Amino acid sequence: MSEQVITVGFVGNPNCGKTTLFNAYTGANLKVANWPGVTVERMEGAAYYKGHKLRLIDLPGIYSLTSYSIEERVARKCIMEEEIDVIVNIVDASSLERNLYLTMQLLEFRKPVVLALNMMDIVQERGMEIDTHRLPEMLGGIPVVPVSARKRMGLDVLLHAVVHHYEEGPHEKVVTYTKGIEAKLEKVEKALADRYGEVSNPRWVAIKLLEQDEEIGKLYPLDLPDVLDKSYEKRIINEKYAYIEEVVDECLFNRESAAASTEKADRYLTHRIFGIPIFLGILAVVFFLTFTVGDFLKGYFEMGLEWFSGSLMNVLGGIGVSDWLISLVVDGIVAGVGGILTFLPNIVILFLALAFLEDSGYMARVAYVMNEVMGSVGLSGKAFLPMILGFGCTVPAIMASRGLENEKDRRRTMMVTPFMSCSARLPIYVLFAHIFFGKYAMIAAYSLYVIGVLVAILVAKIANKLYPLPEENALLIELPAYKMPNPHTVFIYVWEKVKDYLTKAGTVIFVVSIFLWFLLNYNLHGPAEDVSVSFGAYLGRILVPLLKPAGLGMWQIAVALLCGLSAKEVVVSSCAVLFAVSNINSSAGMAELGAALGAGGFGPVNAYAFLVFCLLYTPCAAAIGTIQRESHSWKFTVKQVLFQLALAWAAAVLVFQAGSLIFG
Amino acid sequence: MKLSDGVMGKTYLVVRVEVAERITRRLEALGINEGIPVLVMNRKKNGTVIIKVRGTWLALGTKIASGIEVKEAAE
Repeated sequence: MSEQVITVGFVGNPNCGKTTLFNAYTGANLKVANWPGVTVERMEGAAYYKGHKLRLIDLPGIYSLTSYSIEERVARKCIMEEEIDVIVNIVDASSLERNLYLTMQLLEFRKPVVLALNMMDIVQERGMEIDTHRLPEMLGGIPVVPVSARKRMGLDVLLHAVVHHYEEGPHEKVVTYTKGIEAKLEKVEKALADRYGEVSNPRWVAIKLLEQDEEIGKLYPLDLPDVLDKSYEKRIINEKYAYIEEVVDECLFNRESAAASTEKADRYLTHRIFGIPIFLGILAVVFFLTFTVGDFLKGYFEMGLEWFSGSLMNVLGGIGVSDWLISLVVDGIVAGVGGILTFLPNIVILFLALAFLEDSGYMARVAYVMNEVMGSVGLSGKAFLPMILGFGCTVPAIMASRGLENEKDRRRTMMVTPFMSCSARLPIYVLFAHIFFGKYAMIAAYSLYVIGVLVAILVAKIANKLYPLPEENALLIELPAYKMPNPHTVFIYVWEKVKDYLTKAGTVIFVVSIFLWFLLNYNLHGPAEDVSVSFGAYLGRILVPLLKPAGLGMWQIAVALLCGLSAKEVVVSSCAVLFAVSNINSSAGMAELGAALGAGGFGPVNAYAFLVFCLLYTPCAAAIGTIQRESHSWKFTVKQVLFQLALAWAAAVLVFQAGSLIFG
Repeated sequence: MKLSDGVMGKTYLVVRVEVAERITRRLEALGINEGIPVLVMNRKKNGTVIIKVRGTWLALGTKIASGIEVKEAAE
């Protein structure tokens, strides 16, 4: 048994599947921290292979080893300072040429490098072939291991190569530059040795000095004005790429035929005129599937839930569980969590469709197709997608903003996405529109969707005026080749999202449901006899003066809105409880609720102000949680919530005051 | 001429890249440097383009595309 610990660094381009592979080894056994001094996440885990202990470090995703970005500096420092024994370079085999550029730089470190060829399945699906025997020959004899992080293939082989290669020591020189550069490198290496003695990777340092790399220049200042006369960076890059071209020519087959079909498809799909209508058509299909098929299945889920909560009540009652506990479980937890679960069919279908579009390679094109339309309000072309998803559910929509490249774009998108009217808001529209607007109910409900979109556009426009984002129209995105989506990949994509959603239903919504139940059923003296004397009612009465200018000055309405923070559709069920209406969606129930509200002076104008408020105010606890998770900032999250509340209030006041003037 | 004025289906050679520092670095890592042939695959009126460079397709917004100076490649 060897006691030695081998430190392995996982290095690769962003989106090459590096983290997926890393997780395949470490599972949940992770130490997540920040790299010293910066906010780049550092993940560390351990793995064992035949008596060797391996310390695995996931380095940030990078394209090159310059010192221009934090990620690059962090990765470079980690590799340079001898911390890493073996570099595992994860390469997206489906875009070999671009990924090999980083490989060429890593090879110059003269540290053991193992190449993990990820996404070989995609290479095969596209009808391409990679010669995995010739490839290592051209890369200085380093081990090349085809792996599939998703399918957990080749994992042991890779570790074997790591251990073996570690014992074997470094490889030979790979890229030989043109004479001029090589002559200079030789001189610099000699000067380095004279001045600094033994440098562990002289060639790499010499190359960096020729590139006039700032950090290395400070670390190893040399006085060689005739050799280091200017930056040779571009020449060195070009020569690396020239070698990569040779490698690709030798090792990658059928590239052109795979490219031809993509280029043919792109003639239509990204056409400057047809591109947008085709995209809108695809969207319409996605929507149709999500809402018709999804709602159809959702009906069954709701029936199942009703049956479940009914029989649960009977069972609990039968075994003599006390009433308060039954109420907590059935009215609180099952109603709250279950209500969210009924949306699962919509979510699954929506994400199936998205996974299909993503994995086929189309999604990246959407950013190009929609770039100008979105750019006119200061949003990135890629932001279109999260906004569209917002019609389904705000939570996955905010998660989809992950696809945007920089933090500012991402935040701006998160800011406007909640105004897209999600499906949970629809039950509120339906109920109130039917009660107050009779035959104009559909128009009233539809108008809210339009208002949501207009507000989103307006907010984006104003935000862009106040805080213009730099590098306007700086779209820079790689377009992958089209391929048939892989069922396994699609499954994983959908499952990850569903898991997120379920986790939330099980955590945030679970807790909020219990909390709300407590608010509505208790007061200072213990269990409240009636909702009207509960904590919730007290709280509602406090809010009444604030909501009065918006025509919402009834404590029940205040409480219903408050409850709606757990999930928007809860507004409807809360109204049922608060006004003690038994079957709120039946015509008798609606009449009853209408009468109860009317008795408090709540008319159509109030109702519309109420609906506008519901449209614009904070979507739900899950959305707040998601905004926090995706922005990594409580400050940003709190700001968003306050902004949404303020905007909703202002809009509702405007609607009510203007409406009262016109109709009152 | 600028890459944003490129004609669909034509190949150009990069002369100079003059965009924001961060993006220049990114383009460099993608191998978009002086003398490199770039094929314009698709172009919108305002100059947003899809190009093919070193076997990779890239979509570039007007701002970036107009910062890349190119010349026509000899046939």
